Amino acid sequence: MLEQFSFFGRELFLQGVNSSHSGNMSVRVGDRIFITRRGSMLSHLREGDLVETGMHDDDCHITLASTEIKIHRAIYRETSALAVVHAHPPCAIALSLLEDEIHPVDTEGIYYFKAVPVVGADLTVGSDEVAEKLPPLLQNYKIVMVRGHGSFAVGQMLEEAFQWTSSLEASCRALLFYRLLSPQARREGESRW
Amino acid sequence: MDGWMGRMLEVDLEKGSFRERELDPELLTRWLGGRGLGVKLLYDRALGVEPLHPSNPLIFAVGPLTGTPVPTAGRFSLVSRSPLTGTVFDCNSGGRWGVGLKRCGLDVLLVTGRSPEPVYLEVSEAGARLHPADDLWGRTVSEVMTRLGAAHPGAGVAAIGPAGENGCLLASIMNDGSRALGRGGLGAVMGSKNLKAVVVQGRSRVSVSRPGKLSFVLGESRRWIKGNPVTAVGLPRFGTAVLVNLMNELGVFPSNNFQHSRFPGAESISGEVLEERHLEKRRACWGCPIGCGRVTRAGGLRGEGPEYETLWSLGAQCGVDDLEKVVLANYLCNDLGLDTISAGSVIGCCMELSERGLVEGGPRFGDADAVLGLLEDMALGRGLGRELARGSRRFAEARGAVEYAMQVKGLELPAYDPRGLQGQGLSFATSNRGGCHLRAYLVGPEVLGIPKMVDRKSTTDKPGLTIFAQNLNAGVDSLVLCRFLQFALSDEYFARMLEAVTGIPYKAMDLHRIGERIWNLERLYNLRCGMDPAEDTLPPRLLREPVAEGPAAGRVVLLREMLPLYYRARGWDERGIPDPRKLAALGLPE
Repeated sequence: MLEQFSFFGRELFLQGVNSSHSGNMSVRVGDRIFITRRGSMLSHLREGDLVETGMHDDDCHITLASTEIKIHRAIYRETSALAVVHAHPPCAIALSLLEDEIHPVDTEGIYYFKAVPVVGADLTVGSDEVAEKLPPLLQNYKIVMVRGHGSFAVGQMLEEAFQWTSSLEASCRALLFYRLLSPQARREGESRW
Repeated sequence: MDGWMGRMLEVDLEKGSFRERELDPELLTRWLGGRGLGVKLLYDRALGVEPLHPSNPLIFAVGPLTGTPVPTAGRFSLVSRSPLTGTVFDCNSGGRWGVGLKRCGLDVLLVTGRSPEPVYLEVSEAGARLHPADDLWGRTVSEVMTRLGAAHPGAGVAAIGPAGENGCLLASIMNDGSRALGRGGLGAVMGSKNLKAVVVQGRSRVSVSRPGKLSFVLGESRRWIKGNPVTAVGLPRFGTAVLVNLMNELGVFPSNNFQHSRFPGAESISGEVLEERHLEKRRACWGCPIGCGRVTRAGGLRGEGPEYETLWSLGAQCGVDDLEKVVLANYLCNDLGLDTISAGSVIGCCMELSERGLVEGGPRFGDADAVLGLLEDMALGRGLGRELARGSRRFAEARGAVEYAMQVKGLELPAYDPRGLQGQGLSFATSNRGGCHLRAYLVGPEVLGIPKMVDRKSTTDKPGLTIFAQNLNAGVDSLVLCRFLQFALSDEYFARMLEAVTGIPYKAMDLHRIGERIWNLERLYNLRCGMDPAEDTLPPRLLREPVAEGPAAGRVVLLREMLPLYYRARGWDERGIPDPRKLAALGLPE
């Protein structure tokens, strides 16, 4: 399992959607969750960086788990997801500060997402508010942005959640370029913002 | 001054006299309170005084944040010279006693002398009084708490049990029922003064310079505390016992007097099992949002604890995996006024010596009933217990086997096998008060990844990290705040709180600087009391006997690699003596 986490952790870093120590990933196995350790380097996961803890119940490993464990658990409780990837994709974050829903303009983005909801919260890290707002959205969407913070993507396996994360950032990059290159689009965007 | 009350009460038990003094504002701003202020007063007034001599003071001190809305700001420190280690020694404790002292309008209560008869001291805003304590002498801590609680409703009570009265060098001072000034035998210092208890009760308010700014910082702090899995889930849910399984999995949970670095019975004495079988409810100290205290039930009794360290010392260290007996042993220690870490550790040492044929008819590993019996014997000064009451170093030395005493500078090591935690090893060896985990507390970076995970097997980054943590913690101990708050908050937050309360523009680096001054003054105190710098070491087992199995297999503490760099980075010479230029830079006497 560590090998899988290491592979996608490294990919997330190489694609620039996470900085050296940001982001986290988890998978659900029955009533257990395997989640990356708080503050671990996803691009260089080592033994001990993968923490196993209860889906519903805490045990001593909770002290090592990612600060976002609360959000991951809430998602697993209310969706059929078996994997969650949380990343900090910069272009998507920039757009999340301006929009309530991100609408990709590239063909792949339109095909995959149509729209990506953006939720705001007073405290965006490990908060009850995010844990409450995200799961209902993830019942209908593959990926959701937390304003100014990052993305939460779900899937049946890590690769799937990774793919939505990677695709969203690619679509957001295209959207930003489009707005930069097209004065018309920029004007439309400004009036919309 | 905002934050401080600016007053100190001196009590001479010999004469039965009281004297109140104004505290110099510069003294307070340079040493803050708690540990720092206490160490400074001890150095200036009682350098070299023998621990059990009447002139050795008991210095109870609070900090500038005590009694304010800052989280965990109910704590207080006690500074004195330890009869167990002979070093300068400070303990701090939660509960609400510290707030009680501050509300009497005091920053410091300094007690010297030896009363001709047993007494207890009552302090209030109106002044202080000594009361006869003949009827309390010989009583257990819980009996004293009940009686004095009834006589002084709402007051904070700090008291010793039979262990302190009988001069047991492992005696603690208990307050608010089950909170302990545990280590270093300061209970024996109190007992040597014929002082059974100190009762505090006051209503003075602590003034805050910038309430709006403090409120903002506290709002942010609470969010961090609530968002951190250690302070928001791990500690509240399982208490410090959350560490048992983790440490055991990492191969740094010593057992059978550090002969092994894992304990096969760890699961049965873990935080998870404690919660399932014995927990009645959580308990928090005054002003604490974390609430790591446990109210438990065992064997028809109700009490507090055990903490992680206690589960280890009365459990794994003695080879005991019977959780109920461990909980009962904890209750017994609290009632007798015994430091659970040292008490369990010295029994573990005795068990190893017994198995090696050096203690005839002594206890064997795994014998929980023997542990319970020996605890009582230690406190009451009976039989083998009388020898154990002198601590593991003296006990093993008398048997010609000092190498089996798992101690540093006479203080028994706590529940971390440093062979798998190099930084912890260095911090044990260099601790001014002996084998203490809380001076640097590198469990944060080496185990829990706070603020960042560092390689626990590496030595290269450890001298700098140890110094950083020792200095900062000395500063935080002077504020006086709980170590666990540091899991969620950085030094910047402590400085912002201090600035908001006092109105003085403290920055994070000021806290480190003050901490460094305190650390160096403690060092000077020890050296000038005759401590040999060669005592900056570890028991031979940890330096020469590699761990046999588990994640730390094959490792010893590489102290020889780390210590020279530690000395150099401290600005000390190669023998560990502070350089005069370093002392001058810190404003300390040469």
